[in-house]
Order: sequence, then C-alpha cells, then structure tokens
Amino acid sequence: MTIVDMGHGGARSATAGAPALEVDDLNVVYTVRGIDREVLRGVSFTVAPGEAFGLVGESGCGKSTTAYAALRYLPRNGKIVSGSVRVGGRDVTAMSDAALQEFRAREASMVYQDPAQAMNPTLRVGKQVVEAFTVLGHSAPDAAKLALEALRKVRIADPERVMDRYPFQLSGGMQQRVVIAMALACHPKLLVLDEPTTGLDATVEAEVLDLVRVLRQETDAAVLMIAHNLGIIRSLCDRVGVMYAGKIVEQGPSAEVFDSPQHPYTVGLLRSLPRHGVRKTERSLATIPGILPLIGAHLPTCVFVDRCPLADDKCRTEVPPVVALEGDPNRFSRCHHVDRIADIPEPEPGVPITVLSPSADQPGVLELSHISKTFRQRNHAVPALVDVELELGEGETLGIVGESGSGKSTLARAMLGIDAADAGGVLALNGTQVPPSTTERSADDKRALQMVFQNPDSALNRSWSVRRILARSVTKLTGVKGAAANKRVEALAAHLRLTPRHLDLKPRQLSGGLKQRVAIARAFAGDPRIVVCDEPTSALDVSVQAAILNLLADLQSAERTSYVFITHDMGVVRYLADRIAVLYLGRIQEIGPTNEVFNGPNHPYTEALLSAIPSVDGEEKTRIRLEGEIPSPANPPSGCVFHPRCPRAMPGVCDTTEPQLVEVAAGHSMRCHIPFDELGRLQGVPLPTPNDD
Amino acid sequence: MTDHPSSIVVPGQMPDVSERKQARRENWRLIRRRPAFLIGMAILLVWVVCALFPLTIAPHHPLDFRTGLNQSPSWDHPFGTDQTGRDVFSRVIAGARDILRIAPAAAVLGVLFGVILGMLMGYIRGWFDIIASRIVESFLALPVVLVGLLAVTTMGNSAWVVIGVVAALFTPIVARTVRAAVLAERELDYVTSAKLRGESTMFIMFREILPNVMGPIVVELTVRLGYAVFTVATLSFLGAGPPPPSPDWGSQVSDNYSSIVSGFWWRTFFPAGAIASLVISVNMIADSVQSVMEAS
Repeated sequence: MTIVDMGHGGARSATAGAPALEVDDLNVVYTVRGIDREVLRGVSFTVAPGEAFGLVGESGCGKSTTAYAALRYLPRNGKIVSGSVRVGGRDVTAMSDAALQEFRAREASMVYQDPAQAMNPTLRVGKQVVEAFTVLGHSAPDAAKLALEALRKVRIADPERVMDRYPFQLSGGMQQRVVIAMALACHPKLLVLDEPTTGLDATVEAEVLDLVRVLRQETDAAVLMIAHNLGIIRSLCDRVGVMYAGKIVEQGPSAEVFDSPQHPYTVGLLRSLPRHGVRKTERSLATIPGILPLIGAHLPTCVFVDRCPLADDKCRTEVPPVVALEGDPNRFSRCHHVDRIADIPEPEPGVPITVLSPSADQPGVLELSHISKTFRQRNHAVPALVDVELELGEGETLGIVGESGSGKSTLARAMLGIDAADAGGVLALNGTQVPPSTTERSADDKRALQMVFQNPDSALNRSWSVRRILARSVTKLTGVKGAAANKRVEALAAHLRLTPRHLDLKPRQLSGGLKQRVAIARAFAGDPRIVVCDEPTSALDVSVQAAILNLLADLQSAERTSYVFITHDMGVVRYLADRIAVLYLGRIQEIGPTNEVFNGPNHPYTEALLSAIPSVDGEEKTRIRLEGEIPSPANPPSGCVFHPRCPRAMPGVCDTTEPQLVEVAAGHSMRCHIPFDELGRLQGVPLPTPNDD
Repeated sequence: MTDHPSSIVVPGQMPDVSERKQARRENWRLIRRRPAFLIGMAILLVWVVCALFPLTIAPHHPLDFRTGLNQSPSWDHPFGTDQTGRDVFSRVIAGARDILRIAPAAAVLGVLFGVILGMLMGYIRGWFDIIASRIVESFLALPVVLVGLLAVTTMGNSAWVVIGVVAALFTPIVARTVRAAVLAERELDYVTSAKLRGESTMFIMFREILPNVMGPIVVELTVRLGYAVFTVATLSFLGAGPPPPSPDWGSQVSDNYSSIVSGFWWRTFFPAGAIASLVISVNMIADSVQSVMEAS
C-alpha cells in the first residue's frame, strides 16, 4: 500500500486521453441566513469519454450538488468557492454566461429524477423534442426528422403517435425516454443522470437502465450518474465514488468497491443493505450510529470520524491520507486505518421469531376470503382487487409485492377498513368476522389492526408533539388516561429507542428515521396483533432503513406481532417476510414461502419482477423484458390478465381463460396455465437459495 | 443510535423552548424586519389609542359647536371646523371608536363562521360540499354594499346589524379559502391514522386538522379586517352608519363632501384621510403577515 499525493492533480482517469469530465478539488458552499456553509469539501474525480461514473451516498452527502456543479447549475445561494470543473478540457467555472449557455446547449445534458417536471405539460411531446433540435440550429423540417429518429433511438415503438401526445398522456417510463431523447439531441460530451429511475417501477426502471446501457455503447458520452440505489450503480457504472459529507471517501471500479469496500463508511453502507439473501432470523442489519453532519458542520479532519467504528485520536487530529489501493491504479480510500477494515465488528445475529402458522384447529390472526374492492369512476366499475384469499399466522410477516397500480395499497386499506371491501368477502380477525369498514369495527378490532405509513411527514400531525401523538393513541386504543397513559408513552418510547427528550419535540424537529420510529410507536400503542406496513422505509436512507428493519424484527420477536409488509424492494422483502404474495392488477398471481418464491420456479410475472432488480451483489441474471404497460384495471385483458405482457403466454389458452390460483407445492400457489414443472424447465437454473451462503 | 444530540434539525435554538414558541418567535423576528408592517402597526396603534381615549386626546368635545363656523385649519383647530362650528380634529379622533369596534367584530365573526363552514365542506365533502359550494358561490356574486344597505334599511342601522351583515357576507369568502386548505390536509395520513384509532369527525376536524390550517386563517383574518374597515366606512358614508350627531368618519365624509366645491376641503379631507390611513395600515399589516406565513 502506498500513500499518494492527490493534491491538485486530482484522480487520474483509468483511460488514456483527455477526460470528458474533470472535477478538481471542488469546494461549494450554500449561503444560508448569511452564513456560507460548506457542502462540497474538495471533490475530485474524472470521467473518461464513454465511461460511466457513479456517485453514491446518503441524502445530504453532496452527490446532487456535485452533479449540478458539473454543469454550473447551482441554486441561487450556491457558490463554487474554489476548484475547477473541466468538460472536454474547457473550464466550466470560468465561462461567461453566453459561453455557459452555449455549453449547456451543445456539450452537456442532464436527466432529472422526475420526467414530468422536465417537460412542459402544455405542449405536445413532439413540439418539445423538435425544439431540442431547432435550438441547435436545425431547420424545422430537419428537426422534425431528427426528432422522430431520436425517439426511435430511445426505443419508442410508435414515435409519430407519441409526438402527438401531451406529457401527461405518457407513462413515467415513456416520459423518461422522451427526456433522454431530448438530452441526447446535442450528442453531449457529458450526460448527467440524477436519480433517473427513482420514481419508476422496477420493471420500467430496468428498461430505462437497459436503454442507458445501450445508448452508452452507441455514443461516447461520459456519464455521471447519481443514485442512492447501489444496485443501479453497480449494474451501470464502471467506476464509483462514495460520498460522505461533501467528500469522496472511497473511489474505484464498482465491482471492487462493492465487493471489498475499503472505507468504514462504505462498509457500513453496504452492510446496512439486506444482501446475499440474508434473513432477519439469521443476522440483523448493520447500522451506522449517529447521523450525517449538517451542511456547513466543522469537520477539520476525517469527515466520518464521529460515526466511525475505527476512529481513534489520530483520526481526530490528522487529516486522513488518500490511500491508493491495490488493484485498479485509480482506486483509493481516505482513511488512516485501511489496514484495520476487517476489524469492523460484524452485525449482531438475528432475532428468534416463532411463527404460528394457521391450521385447521388454529385460525390465523387474519383471514381474508373473496375480498374484492371495486371503485366507481364516472359510472364505470374499476375492480382494484379481485377475489383475494389470504391468511396470516401469529408472528408471521407476509410481504406484498407488485408494481404500482397492482393493488398493494388498496389491499392494505381494505384490511384496515379505510376503504371498505366490497360486500361478499369475509375478513376475520382470530377467526371472528369483522365489519369491512373501520368505523363499524369495535374498539378491540381497531386496536388489533394498525398501520405504519410510507411517509412519516404525512403520517404525523405536524402541530402535535410526539408525546401528544403517542398519548392520544394510547388513550384511544387502550382506554388508559392521564398519568398512566403518560407512563405507557414513556415505556413505548423507550422500547422504540426514543429518549424522553424526543417526546416534547414536534415531528419536524426529528430526522426521517426518528419520525418513522414515532409512527411505529404509535402503531404499537395498543399492542396490535397485526401491523400493516406500507413501504415504511422507502423514504429513508439505507442506514436508517436498516435500523428501522431491525427494530421491526425486534418488536416482532418480543410482541409476536404479525406484519403485512408492502414494498417494492425485493431485498427488504426477502430479509423480512416469511411469505410473499405477488399482486398484478388486483389479483394474487403467486403466493408462497419467501425461499420458494425467490428460488423459483415462479409465475412468469414474478420471474420478470425478480429479474428486473439490479443487484448490488452483481449476480448475473437473464433479464426478462416485459412488453407494454400495466393495463388499466377498468378494462382488464381477457383470460389471464397478465397475458398481453407475458413472455411465456400460450395463445389460445392464456387470452381466453383466466387461470385459477392453484397450490403447486406445499403453501405455494400460483395463477398460471403453464404447469409448475414446465415453468421450472423453462426457467432453467433456479436463483441461488438464501441458505447457500 | 439516532438519539444523538445533533438529530434535532433546528440548529442554534435553546432546547427548552417549545416548538410553537420557537416558530412564533421566528415569525415575529421576520415580520418585525418589514417596514410595511412597522408603519402599518404604528398607524393602527394611533387609531386604537384614539378609540380608547378620545376625550383625553381630543382638544375639544366632538359635539361642541361653540367655536366659529367653517374655520380653515389653524393651531387651535388643526383640521379646521365644520358648518356647525365643531372641531374636525376632535371629531376625527372620536370617530375612530365606532369603526374600530364594528369592523374587527365583523371580521372576527365572519372568519369564525367561515372556518366552521369551510371545515365542514372540505372535510365532509359529498353532497353537503356540493350544495354549500353553490350557495357560497351565489353569495360571492352579491354586491356587498348593496346587500349591506338593504339589510340596514330593513333591520335598522344598529351596530349589530352592520356587524352581522358584513360577517355574513365574509363567511363564504373565508369558507372557500379554508375549504381548499382542508381538502389538501384531509388526504394526509395522520387523518387516516386518526380514523384507524376511532376518532370522531369533530375531533379530526378541529383538533387534528385545524391547527395545521391556522396559517391561511390568520392571513384571511387580517385581510378581512382591512375589507371590513372599508365596508363599514362605505356603509356609513351611504347613510347606513350611526345617526347624524355622531362623529362617524363615513357620515362626516357624506355630510361634507358637497362643500368641497365651496372651498371647505378640510371638512371632507381629514375624515376621508382617516378612513384611508386605517384601511392602508391594516392592509400593510395583512400583506406582511401573508408573506411571512407563506414563507414559513
């Protein structure tokens, strides 16, 4: 191991020739209330033409600021203090306004997170794409031709028709393709992608990522990709920089960084992800203690020192060196103790959870039979849930997965009675039927079934203190009042690892993770038997997600609570769930024990969902493309609702007869005409089982 | 764990001060820096003091007509005297009392009823909302002054009638604003969570939602106050105010404006200026409150 001077030379590109993007010792401040606060603290990296460089890190680490600074596109209170950004050898920081405008029009492009906001909602798509070419100086007829060409290039099958539409008439994936087509109009030297697939479903995300991958080969644009999803970075980027508090703490080829991280922060980040099919009973997830420093915090030495398990006096007094690592010449870690990375303690073992599966003499804590939900829209019946059959054992976690619009949240709301299910179905708690609507349910029924919402900002009343939020639930659900209720609130808070001081704060004074803890505490205020969790960690950073998932597992171990866990994150569901139900167009397509669902053979829809997930472990998978979009539930396809998109559909059968949900193995059912062993043969080698490693 | 001290996002504040106080203190600090707010407050304060102690401040009794008739402004009579020899300065000071009693009462009542109606419309929705919305819209189409005059002519020109009719005409306007705020609020998950633990509709509306829509309500209150001053002055100008000898501003203007052509401008100018200064000061305050509330 050698220590090299990274000073003003910056990290040198792995590829010979002039780099497409060269960021050198970039320092950026945001002026907040008259004070300059440091956001980037000497960021340096290079991206070669045709190379894809990813920046990862938790929210607030400065990755988006870096992306915006690369185009000198900072918010009004942002300022580049020192350092330079060169694109194709020209210094972007020194450009005049006119030159900058020209540069942004011809040499660099950006794709944002929300495609709907990147387009003008009042103009037809065609007009906007054509405009991307006319600003480059093409004549109107030329621009029209080029626009059609560009849309074809981003794999839009019927560009003439798409050009005639307004942005809102396109799906999210389609919108993002159009935005990418516009971004590529000028053949940019640099393409910046800021969380381009965050708002999209897994299957759509996979398509957009495939597209970016193909386009990268066709153009020689350098790609700077920002994502919080490490799997996406691994699958798309050649090299990656891990950012923390405005500094790149580790950098190198994606596979190497993710397989053998050499900075304590990278180690913590990766260990907080449920990887390699690990389950809650085997190992708890690693968390990173403390929280990200506020912007502008005084961090004179190592930026990670306050949260680092290896920190010692040296880390607090000396700036860590940039340590070049073996392997790639461009790989480095900013740490005093690269040699002690292996000393970082492993996460604790998992918690024991006993699942009492429902049986003939033992009814499940929750049973749903023939549950349907039909919304009425302008006198049209829109079936959002069709004939759902489920049961949930004590202490069991049932994961519910599916794309958006598949009915996951409708199912949760029907269980809870927020939107009462249609008449005809039966919903039973502990073997006793309960009314479909929460307003008709008894206090005990309400107490037994509670919910944790996706977004704690929306779920907690922002004008109430944490104490009032919890006390009200305790009183309302258990009938305990006054001092006794307060005692229970304090016990509850302690159980959820909230300190008494947190109780007197308002939700907005808490971090995202703490807010979600309060929301979970509220759900547990009346000792519920079942807690429905609707994407409870999707708004959180991975290290915070890990803490919340550990907490949910601990609570389940102690209270024997059952969970219905709705998520789009296959890693999370694999970690937490005992059984998984896959929903498509309001119908359960497959339901079975987690291992069997992950190992296959699967329903073709599950197969496609699983293959769409970019894995941070870099497992090789054959991607299954789903054609088209989810049909409208108001007008479901004939026969099997999945047949128009199913790569294995059998004409003459699948489009005429709807398959029944049939048990194919013990506890494993699916809704498919293809026989189970035939599916196994078609799908070939099963995915690695979680017990293999 | 995450219970690290720096997990509190609001930096640089004493931890023992409650959040509400903190937010209020921050808003107060922001609003104090606005010159429009300070000027508006100063003018309003002058009128409030006049309304509270008219006889102490005024050099003469407002009804005392022993002084000379139609004197132009002088040291003894800074605003001159009117056609019966009463001191205009003293009458303007005394006139602050009526308007500062009626206008705020009308504004407060209008906002109160508007909040209740808007809350019901926004939260309950359905047929109630559809019908109430049509009624609100039809009320919005009514000319305020005309309806006010009609009410005062049929029910007598007591202060309560003026307060009642202005409040009734403001109610739908406020209701519409509150309804819009509640519509956004009711979709948030804390409302769902309240339903899941079995809270009553009343509780959800007034304990859960109301504190979160106070911003627009406070803004609406200040804006309505400005309009109320203007409306009440207009009504009294049109003869729907207190009867003649009273030193009401609106009636002073209407009694004297025809004499401007005779050169007695001060008899109209000062009461009219008083109305204008009060309306402008309240609007300056309302604007400041609005921009601070919207920023936070």
